[in-house]
Amino acid sequence: MFARSIRNTLAAASKQRYICQSCLHRARKSPLALTRLSTQPRTRSLHTESEPPQPPRNATSFRKLLKDAAKQQKKKEKGAVSPRHNPRLEHWELTVGIEVHAELNTARKLFSAAATSVSEAPNTHVALFDVAFPGTQPRFNKDTLLPALRAAIAFQCEIQHKSSFDRKHYFYQDQPAGYQITQYYEPFATNGKITLYPHDFPPGAAPQPEPFDIGIKQIQMEQDTAKTVQQPPSTYLLDFNRVSHPLIEIITLPHIHDPTVAAVVVRKIQNILKSVNACTTGMELGGLRADVNVSVRQRQGHSESSHSYHGVTGLGQRTEIKNLASFKAVEDAIIAERDRQIDLLESGGIVEGETRGWTLGSKTTKRLRGKEGEIDYRYMPDPDIAPVIIGESLVKHLRDTLPKLPDVHIDTLVQTYGLTAKDAITLISLDDGARLEYYLATLHALKRDATQNEEEVPLNVLGKITSNWVLMELGSLFTDEAWDSTRISTRFLKDVVSHVRRKQITSPSGKRLLAMSFDGDKRSVAEIVEQESLLLKPLSHEEYVKLAQNLLDEKPDMVRDITEKGQVKKTMWFVGQMVARSPEGTVEPGKAKEVLKEVLGLGDQEL
Amino acid sequence: MSLIKHAKTYLLNQSNYKHLNAFNSLVEPSVLLARSGISESDRAEEIGSNDVYDKPIAIKDNICTKDLKTTASSGILKDFVSPYDATVVKLLQDDGAVVVGKTNMDEFGMGSHSTHSHFGPVKLQRYEGEEVSAGGSSGGSALAVATSQCWAALGTDTGGSVRLPAAYTGIVGFKPSYGLLSRWGVIAYANSLDTVGILGKNVKDVEAIFDKLNVYDPQDPTSLPRSTRARLLDPHPKRPDSLRIGIPLDYNIDTLHPTVRKSWIRRLRELWNRGHTLHPVRLPTTQQALSAYYVLAPAEASSNLAKYDGVRFGSRAEGIDGAPGRVLFAKTRGQGFGPEVQRRILLGAFSLSAQAIDNYFIQAQKIRRLVQHDFNGVFARPNPLFDHDGTTSSKKRKGVDILVCPTAPSLPPSLSEVETQDPIHSYMNDVFTVPASLAGLPAISVPSGESHDLPSGTSCNSVGIQIIGQYGDDKLVLDAAKNL
Repeated sequence: MFARSIRNTLAAASKQRYICQSCLHRARKSPLALTRLSTQPRTRSLHTESEPPQPPRNATSFRKLLKDAAKQQKKKEKGAVSPRHNPRLEHWELTVGIEVHAELNTARKLFSAAATSVSEAPNTHVALFDVAFPGTQPRFNKDTLLPALRAAIAFQCEIQHKSSFDRKHYFYQDQPAGYQITQYYEPFATNGKITLYPHDFPPGAAPQPEPFDIGIKQIQMEQDTAKTVQQPPSTYLLDFNRVSHPLIEIITLPHIHDPTVAAVVVRKIQNILKSVNACTTGMELGGLRADVNVSVRQRQGHSESSHSYHGVTGLGQRTEIKNLASFKAVEDAIIAERDRQIDLLESGGIVEGETRGWTLGSKTTKRLRGKEGEIDYRYMPDPDIAPVIIGESLVKHLRDTLPKLPDVHIDTLVQTYGLTAKDAITLISLDDGARLEYYLATLHALKRDATQNEEEVPLNVLGKITSNWVLMELGSLFTDEAWDSTRISTRFLKDVVSHVRRKQITSPSGKRLLAMSFDGDKRSVAEIVEQESLLLKPLSHEEYVKLAQNLLDEKPDMVRDITEKGQVKKTMWFVGQMVARSPEGTVEPGKAKEVLKEVLGLGDQEL
Repeated sequence: MSLIKHAKTYLLNQSNYKHLNAFNSLVEPSVLLARSGISESDRAEEIGSNDVYDKPIAIKDNICTKDLKTTASSGILKDFVSPYDATVVKLLQDDGAVVVGKTNMDEFGMGSHSTHSHFGPVKLQRYEGEEVSAGGSSGGSALAVATSQCWAALGTDTGGSVRLPAAYTGIVGFKPSYGLLSRWGVIAYANSLDTVGILGKNVKDVEAIFDKLNVYDPQDPTSLPRSTRARLLDPHPKRPDSLRIGIPLDYNIDTLHPTVRKSWIRRLRELWNRGHTLHPVRLPTTQQALSAYYVLAPAEASSNLAKYDGVRFGSRAEGIDGAPGRVLFAKTRGQGFGPEVQRRILLGAFSLSAQAIDNYFIQAQKIRRLVQHDFNGVFARPNPLFDHDGTTSSKKRKGVDILVCPTAPSLPPSLSEVETQDPIHSYMNDVFTVPASLAGLPAISVPSGESHDLPSGTSCNSVGIQIIGQYGDDKLVLDAAKNL
């Protein structure tokens, strides 16, 4: 019945973005709202310590991060000690399972008509049921299933025809009813997996060249809790706006044996959730939180490794680390906990099954409560909520209309558009996909342009050129500002790239054009080129040679360095000087380089 | 008779019987009198065929009202005012009924004698100096009707809480099929069993209220949707004038009070004399049903009552509550809940705990299914929740139309007796009412119609006869009750 009634609204609903209209209104009025928000503590923590969120990263810093990682990797490979070859880890194997909680992208709360919200004034989006008023009852919002199902399909789960909601009891002030409604006995999705490719890892960090799977045991829907805002020394304010915001909890199997892989899994889960529009806010805004289960066992001799989790047997006693709010926290907390457990076992101790916490920047995990303090959640089926029956036609429809997954994108970008894997990942991960959209729009415009002019430019060439402009040149312009797709229109960028590619202007002129548009110049590329006389006035070969010779004569020392000592890279300084000393739009760097090589007699040497 | 005369009678009784403690709160008398000031001609227009118009109705204090406090007779809600009206209250008010007050009860509905109240026990007094149980947990509602402090009353019935007090006080108490009357605004005790019930002087009044309230409410997720309601009525087989009446032999227990047994037999004979046929039937899980009920209801209660912490509403304990790093409401809950509520919360928390759930909660759920199966086995009409196409009904089964049995095994005990009774013994009182609750069936308690003598030399009617029907057969149950 449910499947039938919802089928009618499916087509529209599956593409709809679930955003509170009043939030949207606010966001429009104040573009800084989101950035300001990031300074507030947003972590849900049973131990009430809030961690400052990581600032969002822009293009250059993310690329820099990848570069630094590559450099580090090279250093490590040269150096003697690498954690990968930590001798202790020859004896001990780490095992990790992850539980990720993600806020679903829905208009309304899981069991009330109140709107979901991110940055509204505290306690303005609260229905009576959300604060557990006597006599109120839940009303399951079927719409919340759609993003949850998209996520489950993206993780290749088996969607359960029937699932149900249970109450998980514990007392805490952020839990108004005294229980959380979750899916314990019958989750809606089980037996999924997430596939990791080498391109998911920082360069050189992939544990193996082939893709591999991490199993997902189940995905369940549940309610979020209230937000506790701590006011030192002893005041706790409660904001019930977040109560009953729909969450999904994704539980992986203990298939992870490396802290980096764990961090990559969490990041990939976030990317997939965003790309299928299941979730909009990432870890940096508290929209995603992770708990990790960590255990170690000796690689040889299984005498004490008798524990079994989610059907995986022969594991050591595990501990759980709660509320990790960044990828780095996931990785660092696992390393610290692994080392703590190994220290303990090597000195003859035993690992206690307990819950531990981790604060960013610390070197060790901290005990929160032991087994004797573990809560018996007394799971009970919620008598007010009917089982959820999901029709096959609904699942099929969502499967057919699922937005492209990042892996599919990366493939296309690398194979068809000629990008490096690194650039492809950067493009996808930036600005919630807005950068990728911008890139594709520009590229398609360029392609149309070329076709209209009956030019035969291979797509991978166009794709590569476009990515350089979108990532490098625009990236440097947006270093200190949030990305804005409308600041420089794709049409403007397309015209710049076309002009440069057709050698109508030089690339330095092209960069200048972008900067002008960025600063608010409203003229078109053609107008600026004409009015500022940027059109390339090509020098003759002889003029190039003459220009080059004059420069070389000024610096005989450097010429000697190049011709006699083989420091050919210094030639690039002369290229820069040739461009700089000539009127704008006359010297093309590429041609200048060729002429210099010719005059210096460097032949085909790479510079 | 004019309403003004009625209103004055009700008000007089409210003041005369104040000491019986039927009400936790009353509206100002002026409200009632103001309503009776409306001219007769205006009223005649409004009334039409509306049976509840201008009728003073009492509401059990676990049903939310905006205008009067809703305390569930608990210390933790002693000053609580709900920001909204329960759907059942709203429906009655929309039809012109007047809420006269909120009635006393066992705290959160937990009890069989309306003695576990923060505001003191409800007392049934049939002669000067007597103090006996009015039954529970809707004892205040039943007593208010019995003593004409109002025209009718709403109660709630989780395991017999409307039927038992109706029997003890000699009035009519009806628990409809689960899911027919909205629970939005009814403070949950055990939500899979909680049912709004109706108490009145006669079946006709009760039915009039039932007809007003028997509508789908989208705010209650367990309210039967319109499509299912239609199915309950749809292939309604034509009832012959002669009913097949089942006598559950398993209800003829050793501890059945002789007066009760005598009344039961007499009523059956009467029915037989009127041309109905009598058929002995077996409901073998009757005894286990009581045990299952006292596992399931406290389990749900322990969960439902977890919300009372005095943080967002309700009362908090004086001073600082909670050790550092612990939750902030241990003391508040310790002081706010009475002993019976605490006992059931602990029972429920235990039966849901990891080490006990398989042996208690899960087993009890299985018994609940068996109880339902028992009933489905004896009724002629198939359970409409099970047989969607109705094909089985074409094959005429030799079942019964209704079951007739006592409401309670004994007569109302004195309050001093109740006080010294151990809890288990008082749970035994629910043995005949609990099975219909577990199966969600419609059941009504009507006065046995004959008096028995009291020690004082006077006589009274404190024996209730219960009629139970198949799920959705509420109208048949009401019709049969009218004939009794």
